[in-house]
Amino acid sequence: MKTYHDIATDGGSDVAGQVASQSHRLTGRLADVRRIVAVMSGKGGVGKSTVSVNLAASLAVSGARVGLVDGDINGPSLGRMAGVHGAPVLRSGSAVLPVESSEGVRVMSMDLFLDDESLPVVWDAPDQVGGAAWRGLREAGALRELIADTQWGELDVLLIDLPPGSDRLPTLAGVVPRLDGALVVTLPSAVSLGVVGRSVRMVQDHLDVPPLGLIENMAAHVCPSCGASDELFPAGKVDVLARTLGLRVLARIPFDPLLGRAADEGRSYPHDHPDRPAAEAFNKLANELQAILDLP
Amino acid sequence: MKFLCVECDEAMALVETRGPDRGSMTVVFACPGCGRQTAMLTNTSETQVVRSLGVKIGGRTMDAEPMEGIRAGLAGRSAEAGSGDSKCPFTGMVNEAFEQRAITWSEAARSRVERIPSYARSMVVRGVEEFAREEGAAEVTEAVLDRARGRMGM
Repeated sequence: MKTYHDIATDGGSDVAGQVASQSHRLTGRLADVRRIVAVMSGKGGVGKSTVSVNLAASLAVSGARVGLVDGDINGPSLGRMAGVHGAPVLRSGSAVLPVESSEGVRVMSMDLFLDDESLPVVWDAPDQVGGAAWRGLREAGALRELIADTQWGELDVLLIDLPPGSDRLPTLAGVVPRLDGALVVTLPSAVSLGVVGRSVRMVQDHLDVPPLGLIENMAAHVCPSCGASDELFPAGKVDVLARTLGLRVLARIPFDPLLGRAADEGRSYPHDHPDRPAAEAFNKLANELQAILDLP
Repeated sequence: MKFLCVECDEAMALVETRGPDRGSMTVVFACPGCGRQTAMLTNTSETQVVRSLGVKIGGRTMDAEPMEGIRAGLAGRSAEAGSGDSKCPFTGMVNEAFEQRAITWSEAARSRVERIPSYARSMVVRGVEEFAREEGAAEVTEAVLDRARGRMGM
């Protein structure tokens, strides 16, 4: 009797072919994108989206063509943070056009499809409670569509801001095989460093995606009047983790209440506050990334 | 998943699909040798998994629409055949928003609007699309753009 492997097709649906077609579509859409970088952290609330949106802005201001994908399907925020929430999504042939921020960053997010920010993202299903078997597939599919169905055009770098969790980068790597690396955001707290360290180890041990370096967020508070710097957490712990993991600390972003205010208002922090220490730190991070990835 | 006619030792071929009906799909296969038919009946979880993969049982006859999974999944046309209603007012709104925005632009019109500084472009695009809808135009052409400019005083 024949076995599964003796039969060439699935009888007519060609599910494997359909999945391959999805992959080809994504590959074609990213053909003019030079570099693709994930912004990740195992820990939630460390400022991944803040880093992503401000790094993207700093890169764009320096002349790079930048795309930004909000990888948080259930809690999208980049539309608001980049100041494009509510902007129209234009269809162009077999794709939609990304929405451009004031710096020209091309943004795509679930945020752009949801007019009412107060309601949750709910997938159509007979039963929401029993979603363990399919919810992850839905989210991965949505992420694939946000990337593959957006007409990015020519980009120097596409940043993909991931939600927290050590499982997110493997999911993204399954969707986008040609990831050039991952930026890892952490707070200098022991709680954050422990979780982030584990998630980086998982990447190093199991994925073919190089961690490009650590970004220390909320590294200190710099007094805007006198310039004195106060540590928010004991100093030096991020350096210890970086040495342990064999990574560099690419930037230390000081705490600045204006960062949060700019995000809430959808205004560009680097544009509005170019002389603040955090803006300088984002510029430094942009320079580091440009050097690492050989970007213009 | 593949089906084998044990008697003929032949791979069975897909004949038709029905549903989803209350979350279940019926997929009929037949043996090309003896003609014997068998039906695969999916439970709701299996149906959801297939939908979540973004594939169509029975194969695709045309390319997927942009953001098809997001639109269909969130807009959630009811799985019950023929109902056509969204189960959730929120998810219905998503589709409505996308459809409303899915107005096309000619290349020439897009080139012109892309010359507008990016900080003002979204506002202009919104205004022009609103004008196009009022005119009943499905596409923003240069002519539509010129008329919109006249009304918007640009």
